[in-house]
Amino acid sequence: MLKSKTFVKKTRSGGVMKIVREHYLRDDIWCGSEVCTECKQESTVLQRDACIESDLCCFPHYLIPDTNVVLHQIDVLEDPLIRNVVILQTVLQEVRHRSAPIYKRLKDILHEQEKHFYTFTNEHHRETFIEREPGESANDRNDRAIRVAVKWYSHHLEKGGSDGPKAVLITNDQGNKEKAEESDLLVYKCEEYIKSLIANPELVDRLALANDEKNDISSSKVLFPEHFPLSRIQVGIKSGTFLQGTFRASRDNYLEATVFVQGEGEDSTEVLLQGLQNLNRAIHQDVVAVQLLPREQWLAPSSVVLHDEREAKDEDATEEEEKEKAMKNIADDAARKPTGRVVGIIKRNWRPFCGMLNSSLIKESTRHLFTPADRRVPRIRIETRQASALASQRIMVAIDGWPRHSRYPNGHFVRSLGAAGDKETETEVLLLEHDVPHQDFSQAVLSFLPKMPWSITPEDMAVRQDLRALTVCSVDPPGCTDIDDALHCRTLENGNLEVGVHIADVSHFIRPGNALDLEASNRGTTVYLCGKRIDMVPELLSSNLCSLRSNVERLAFSCIWEMNNKADIVKTRFTKSVINSKASLTYAEAQLRIDDTTMNDDITNSLRGLNKLAKILKRQRIEKGALTLSSLEVRFHIDSETHDPIDLQTKELMETNSMVEEFMLLANISVAQKIYDEFSECALLRKHPAPPPSNYDILTKAAKSKGLAIHTDSAKALADSLDVAKVDGFPYFNTLLRILATRCMMQAVYFCSGMDSDFHHYGLASPIYTHFTSPIRRYSDIIVHRLLAVAIGADSTYPDLTDKHKQSALCNNLNYRHKMSQYAQRASVAFHTQLFFKSRGILNEEGFILFVRKNAIIVLIPKFGLEGTVFFDSKDKTGPKLVFDEEGPTLMVEQHTFKIFDKVKVTISLDDSNVQHQKIRMSLVDPVIPGVSVPVTEVEPPAKKPKLDC
Amino acid sequence: MAVDMRLPTFRSDSRSNSLFDRKVNKDLVVPGDVITTDTGFMRGHGTYLDDDKLTASVAGEVERVDKLICVKPLKTRFNGEVGDVIVGRITEVQQKRWKVETNSRLDSVLLLSSVNLPGGELRRRSAEDELTMREYLQEGDLISAEVQSVYADGALLLHTRSLKYGKLGQGVLVQISPSLIKRQKTHFHNLPCGASIILGNNGFVWLYPTPGQQDEEAGGFYTSLEPVSLSDREVISRLRNCLLALSAHKVLLYDTSVLYCYEVSLSQQVKDILKPEVMEEIVMMTQQKLIEHEG
Amino acid sequence: MAGLELLSDQGYRLDGRKAPELRKVQARMGVFAQADGSAYIEQGNTKALAVVYGPHEMRGSRSRTLHDRAVINCQYSMATFSTAERKRRPHGDRKSTEMSLHLKQTFEAAVMTQLYPRSQIDIYVKVLQADGGNYSVCVNAATLAVIDAGIPMRDYVCACTVGFVDETPLADLCFAEESGGGSSLALALLPRGGQIALLQMDARLHQDHLETLMEAAMTACKGVSKVLDEVVRQHLQEVSVLTGE
Repeated sequence: MLKSKTFVKKTRSGGVMKIVREHYLRDDIWCGSEVCTECKQESTVLQRDACIESDLCCFPHYLIPDTNVVLHQIDVLEDPLIRNVVILQTVLQEVRHRSAPIYKRLKDILHEQEKHFYTFTNEHHRETFIEREPGESANDRNDRAIRVAVKWYSHHLEKGGSDGPKAVLITNDQGNKEKAEESDLLVYKCEEYIKSLIANPELVDRLALANDEKNDISSSKVLFPEHFPLSRIQVGIKSGTFLQGTFRASRDNYLEATVFVQGEGEDSTEVLLQGLQNLNRAIHQDVVAVQLLPREQWLAPSSVVLHDEREAKDEDATEEEEKEKAMKNIADDAARKPTGRVVGIIKRNWRPFCGMLNSSLIKESTRHLFTPADRRVPRIRIETRQASALASQRIMVAIDGWPRHSRYPNGHFVRSLGAAGDKETETEVLLLEHDVPHQDFSQAVLSFLPKMPWSITPEDMAVRQDLRALTVCSVDPPGCTDIDDALHCRTLENGNLEVGVHIADVSHFIRPGNALDLEASNRGTTVYLCGKRIDMVPELLSSNLCSLRSNVERLAFSCIWEMNNKADIVKTRFTKSVINSKASLTYAEAQLRIDDTTMNDDITNSLRGLNKLAKILKRQRIEKGALTLSSLEVRFHIDSETHDPIDLQTKELMETNSMVEEFMLLANISVAQKIYDEFSECALLRKHPAPPPSNYDILTKAAKSKGLAIHTDSAKALADSLDVAKVDGFPYFNTLLRILATRCMMQAVYFCSGMDSDFHHYGLASPIYTHFTSPIRRYSDIIVHRLLAVAIGADSTYPDLTDKHKQSALCNNLNYRHKMSQYAQRASVAFHTQLFFKSRGILNEEGFILFVRKNAIIVLIPKFGLEGTVFFDSKDKTGPKLVFDEEGPTLMVEQHTFKIFDKVKVTISLDDSNVQHQKIRMSLVDPVIPGVSVPVTEVEPPAKKPKLDC
Repeated sequence: MAVDMRLPTFRSDSRSNSLFDRKVNKDLVVPGDVITTDTGFMRGHGTYLDDDKLTASVAGEVERVDKLICVKPLKTRFNGEVGDVIVGRITEVQQKRWKVETNSRLDSVLLLSSVNLPGGELRRRSAEDELTMREYLQEGDLISAEVQSVYADGALLLHTRSLKYGKLGQGVLVQISPSLIKRQKTHFHNLPCGASIILGNNGFVWLYPTPGQQDEEAGGFYTSLEPVSLSDREVISRLRNCLLALSAHKVLLYDTSVLYCYEVSLSQQVKDILKPEVMEEIVMMTQQKLIEHEG
Repeated sequence: MAGLELLSDQGYRLDGRKAPELRKVQARMGVFAQADGSAYIEQGNTKALAVVYGPHEMRGSRSRTLHDRAVINCQYSMATFSTAERKRRPHGDRKSTEMSLHLKQTFEAAVMTQLYPRSQIDIYVKVLQADGGNYSVCVNAATLAVIDAGIPMRDYVCACTVGFVDETPLADLCFAEESGGGSSLALALLPRGGQIALLQMDARLHQDHLETLMEAAMTACKGVSKVLDEVVRQHLQEVSVLTGE
């Protein structure tokens, strides 16, 4: 079956290297069409009835795009309308070389069955392989290869009958098109073809503008310096004249950005960029090359907030220059930072951006500006005919390019997300912007779910310990459906206590390597938004089979200790088990049982035992220097019908919260030790690095203002000094201090034990830590389960589990997802807070000053856990006299001095002047400063609604 | 000097479809082939027993003698048998014996006691003789000899106790595969073309000018150093090339085949015989001649 | 984008083969008259020459003589022009010494050395062009040369290098695939009995994959053995036609 005609491809690289490769040509590469009778293919991809209604091709046809069409019009190809496309191997390879993200997208399309995309390996086909002719450039050769393949297809398909489908070449290259026409091929330009589609006129909007570049008025002023070619950049980077780094646009100032230059070890630097010219068309997250300016031109980062709010029409640069000047004047000598300019783009990191359309002033115009939700991304010019329809919608737009003479990048419309301000849409936007995978689970993923009705098989029982008789119960927040942990406690004959933590055995259902596993590992974590949960694993598992609900038999992974009455661990044991939870309690219910002395059943006794031990454990932990930090978490009471938030309330902590937490920590630590002992190279652990001392500046300063000293030499010292830091008559002070301390901390991260040497968990004061207890909502725990299962011989290992590089890559993804899910969560809370205040109107509340800034104070309102900024200067009018003292830090506004922790009264209202960036506005009410504070507005009590809380 | 250069060419397949395209109905096996699973047979050379299966260990032709099954490889080192005439080269002089390279798997042994020393058959070997062994035969000397017996490890014991054996003087040695030497009554031939030949069973063939008269007294250790005439040298060279031609085409060597080949080659210049096409032609004619005369 | 895509989604490799397919193998036996056995083999662009002398009297140090079997002496070398970069390769460098040792071990497992006590068998192999799977090609060449020399062997020794890319075993790696990362495994097999003469692997591989990889290697070796078998039979036929009367 192998036609071993050996062709030799010769390529020269370097000077003298001569690489000779074999190139086998085959005659067993099939065309992939249903129509074909000749090819002995097992399955076909291309349909018989491949019709896309079009003015140009009113017959069934297969599209064959060339490389440039794929590169530029991938959004069009992704449209569900476009089906039955042949992607030639030549094209695929070229795309792979030219753009990794597009290659990835193309591959995704190829895998999608509904799209009927087929890859034809023309380079290895006996009849479609061509050799490069002398004098022919590589590109010309590839174009010819594409034409030859199209020709082959048309002949090949003709054999199946004249009414069969035809092959249509799609190219944007005039020369290529002419040549194709000469050899009697059906060929269209991409635009021609898309415009001819009858059913879907909106597809035209998705056409990338890349080609318009040349047609544009070339007379228009060149706004930007040219980017250097990659070769020159590489030389520059090697010689040190250029620096390579990631471009990070400033959130607050569109004329400012920094480039983070990764150095070896500690010497990573940040280069400041200011001014449109110097930013030179770089977009947030691009990898760019920068050139440092001479030292005398170095600037200090400006603290001015500038938003690009001009209309599209006036592309007058003078105004911009003025702004730039204004910024520079502020710069004082000491604060100067290395400043540079972008000389070239090494790698674009464009993704589709969410945002809104600013309609053009002229009604009929098809060109519009689009404002992304992410302030760090510049506005994008797009062309669409449905501007009026899209005006009030959130849409997605992809950037196609940024020509030198254009003030804004060019892009095209990708899709609409829904009406702006709509809860669904906004949630979608925040998920997209935080890169949270939230699509429904695919069929492939669902196919790996256990078949219902599911029950525990005798085989499962045989390899597991039967713990059904134990009085196991779970304690969770109310409304929790994904119960992944349960506990038990009983007294042994020798007087010791046996404590068990039972964790849902998710790894039993999710087997390594299958689609379900891959999906879960990609999602990394379940994301909890207000009123919405984005599951990591399908609901059948998360809320049913894995959830340790009461009175059903469930598979569990148990960690069982024998402890004496002083909570010292005598023995630790891990086992896969079967449990039958006796009760699913909420924290409050559990607390009630413990407190209610009249109750004396097994569950309550077990809870009491646990509670007693937990207290000891907690004390021991705190003695070791574990930190108790504080952050305000709020809960929304969501109206059951409208799903609008009615009220919000800060979370209350009960003893039982801490009880469950203690045992979870204990389990995590025990498991961490066990898997590290077994797999010293590839254990997945979690560490929390100690923050650098400078992080504590703000905390110590704040405490000093109240005459207290905070010791930050060690976690223990910090914990102790936080405990004693109390101010009489100010009970909330300690909490505020703890909130501040939380802000000083570093982010805890997952890592692979073989890739790091520092394992310490600072916050918990534990030498080793991992996550074991929530496998339903965290992928890290699934990996830890697998490691532990191997360690106790309950399961077999698999290659990726012990590959520390793969493990490390996984950790990076988990850390990223985890961070993003937190951001998304915060964004969701912020959005709901806005909704809440929208319904509440204006409120007056008491709050504390958390930070003092140059021109503002940041106020925390404990009642809502809400933080807001009170500005003292505004754009239009001259502000009051401000004196800022960095040491305090204090801010003197006119006669009044604001210090940290001061109690203030503010009014809260929703500022919805900008639909995209609605925000909570706070203004000062008390203390009264003339010209600054606002009079107390009479708060209209909202229409009485039955309150759900209290 | 004219140099004849040629590019490599594909081996022509002509011979396989010409006269020689006689399908040999031989039982050819390759290593690992099971010859028979019948346990009634005896295991001979080139075979081994693998779980009661008689299996070939070399590539070649199966030979069956009664219950004994052997596989004879196409090409192999010389496996000497008693009585074989060999031509060999002294590689080492040891106490009371010489070591002789005879193209077999171990060097053969020629004992001092199995050579004819000058002074007649009944001469006693003294200690002095042991010291002067090198005077008779030293490293590099060529000898002709006969296999007296075979040691257990396969090494051959030689003797030169006949006047026809002994040290070889002026001549040309041609080494070819032992399997191409045809076993005959005599391996010493005085060819009518004016040269003599010793067809050693071990594949070493010695060509030398036909001696005038046998010098009985020399005891085989005398070497004439008289110059050999040009015509004799020419004849010897031609014979050598003929031998190479025949061996290249795997034609069995014996006096007749050599002689015929010599006769056929007379139309060509000596040096031309080694050209592949001439070689092929000569060999073909030789074989035809052989067939004619056989019949 | 860096790196080559060693295995496309359609299941084709760089040179157009599918994962389990071997390269084109061409071989010839008896290429030298002087040697007892010789062979030349091309496996794709990897070309090697093998020459066998012996069994013969021990040369060099007599002390290595074994009284119950023959000593196998192997020497592996690479021609200066065998790789993309011209490089002089002195004898006895680490790589070739190791390779020689591997060859020796391989053939000690297959050649019936006990038939030739106190003698020596020399196997010399030279790689004329290297394009991946050098060891395997040398083993295959040497097998043919040993058969050509009429030295008894239990079976052919066939070797093949397999790699592991995208959870798929690739048979008979070419240079680009061998150097493209991933672990590769060289296996020398006595195909009829399925005994392994040598198994060599440098990179790390999870043990779960070993089985599949070995399986693939064995299949590949059996494929090689088929080709070699054909070559040997062809040669046998040719020669015996000539000698046959």
